[in-house]
Amino acid sequence: MGRTDGPKWAKHPSSLESGPFLEWKAGNITHTPAHFAPDSSRTILLPKPSHPLDGRNHIGGADMVLEATMICIDNSEWMRNGDYAPSRFQAQADAVNLICGAKTQSNPENTVGVMTMAGKGVRVLVTPTSDLGKILACMHGLEVGAEANLAAAIQVAQLALKHRQNKRQQQRIIAFIGSPVNYDKKVLETIGKKLKKNNVALDIVDFGETDDEKPEKLEALISAVNSSDSSHIVHVLPGENALSDVLISTPIFTGEEGGSGFAASAAAAAATGAAGFEFDVDPNVDPELALALRLSMEEERARQEAIAKKAAEESSGAENKDHASSSNTDSVMAEAEPASNAASDDKKDQPKEDDDAQLLQKALAMSMEEGSSGAAAVADAAMAEAAVDDQDLALALQMSVQDAGVSGQADMSKVFEDRSFVTSILNSLPGVDPNDPSVKDLLASLHGQGEQEKKEDKSSDKPEDEKK
Amino acid sequence: MAANNAPAAAAAAPAPAVPATPVPRGQVDLVDFIDWSSVECLNQDPSHSIVNALKQGYRDDDGLYVASDSDEQLLIHIPFMQVVKLHSALFKGPEEDGPKTIKLFSNKEHMGFSNVNDYPPSDSLDLSSNHLAESKPVQLKYVKFQNVRSLTIFIEDNQSGSDVSKIQKIALYGTTVDTTNMKDLKKIEEH
Repeated sequence: MGRTDGPKWAKHPSSLESGPFLEWKAGNITHTPAHFAPDSSRTILLPKPSHPLDGRNHIGGADMVLEATMICIDNSEWMRNGDYAPSRFQAQADAVNLICGAKTQSNPENTVGVMTMAGKGVRVLVTPTSDLGKILACMHGLEVGAEANLAAAIQVAQLALKHRQNKRQQQRIIAFIGSPVNYDKKVLETIGKKLKKNNVALDIVDFGETDDEKPEKLEALISAVNSSDSSHIVHVLPGENALSDVLISTPIFTGEEGGSGFAASAAAAAATGAAGFEFDVDPNVDPELALALRLSMEEERARQEAIAKKAAEESSGAENKDHASSSNTDSVMAEAEPASNAASDDKKDQPKEDDDAQLLQKALAMSMEEGSSGAAAVADAAMAEAAVDDQDLALALQMSVQDAGVSGQADMSKVFEDRSFVTSILNSLPGVDPNDPSVKDLLASLHGQGEQEKKEDKSSDKPEDEKK
Repeated sequence: MAANNAPAAAAAAPAPAVPATPVPRGQVDLVDFIDWSSVECLNQDPSHSIVNALKQGYRDDDGLYVASDSDEQLLIHIPFMQVVKLHSALFKGPEEDGPKTIKLFSNKEHMGFSNVNDYPPSDSLDLSSNHLAESKPVQLKYVKFQNVRSLTIFIEDNQSGSDVSKIQKIALYGTTVDTTNMKDLKKIEEH
């Protein structure tokens, strides 16, 4: 019974790409691995309770369908054949277990019933119930024998569904048919129409015998039932994979349009294997390891970002003046960009953000930190954030920060005493010729003494602006 | 027709208990007492579901209707949140595809098309195209609907005998039996 663990592992949210998982990641990242319990993730996978009649209106929408399901098991003599490992009957039983788990989990109000089609006539083993234990228990000790009666089984299943307690549940029959179908195509079509009229959907798993136009007959049955694509048929040939593995990626399992989060994630996991996962570790297989890896990755990222930020601060310490002369933020951004490259290299698998916005924010933060280093600590994160959306606002903020910086500029003056440094800044400014005589004069006077220096400095800004 | 209907609906919306023109004297629109979670319609076209004909607002829009799917029959099960007396019913539909023979059953749970003939209907209506066009309430056998917990409406065929039946509006008028009236309770809570 290798397959019985299917429902268990599939409870975990699966691939990192899937929506619900990202949500989980964002919300619970600080939790210890012990919190990686199936139940905490399950709450997210559950459908939101929709409007009572919504389920009817938008079949197969994003919301999970509320369903009552009857599963018809083929327990005829044909099931003794061993062409599906370990035997047809056992393979079928595994698939039924998996489906029961998926159905009962996709919505807590879903109910599943089980019945047999052969043996001593059609027999209902369990009427629709949400008690998974009851459903699984009835599968034990089933006798294999006699021939299946498809028509009778479907009609009995429909009767069982009709008397469901909760009328909000949609009705669905899932029939496993591994033995030949003795009925005429027309008889099946009549039954199909009756099902359709009673709003019953039908899923067929066609496996085993293929003689006597069986697939064609079943296709005809499905097309008679099918209304708005809610009924499906799957043909499973022997030998490929285990029956349940094939089913897991079919609409029978995933619901219409892959509506079921559980089934879809299970299917995705089955389909992609470990290849598609971050760090090449399937979080379903080893959630603790995956979480540990991810946490370690986050820490490393944070560390690198801190280093990059520090480096950027140091390298752009001079940049501040440049900034002040109301040249646009480009040069600062250009400076900040290589510094943050190290960090951004690692960010590829993170949710993509607006790079420009990020850089602008960084530039703002840096300019504020420096401009106000001696004076008012204006490095208001909220301000910076607000500025991201609006470039004008950002510029205005910079200016105001700058003013504050100018008024208390004791240590700023030291910067201007370094002639080579100031020259290099002037070089980097567009439209400024450091060899210009007026600029040279200015520099000379700058080098002179304290008090005047600031005024001169201010006036020096103006000609530069005009030149631009 | 539509222009005539719109003001009536507008007048009824703020105070449903005060009858506009079509509501019979002393009766109320039972739409407020329907247990929506259990409303069921068999053989409805999934893209034209029963809410289109039954719900306040939707039912007054002639573009929204409930349509049958695989044949012309429809089986609508409407449970109420409390016991009601049913006085009259209104059916509105297109002249061609509107319902013709309608059978009403009270308090029949789990009815399907297979056992629709097992019980005698509480009342049976044979609508003419005039009924549909006028959209006036049809009076029912009041004595048969004195203790209604749920109503099952069986649309047997339509005016033209086509494969698809359409209903634009179903309205039920009657009174609630003197049980706890949930609406009154709410009003007292508000003060």
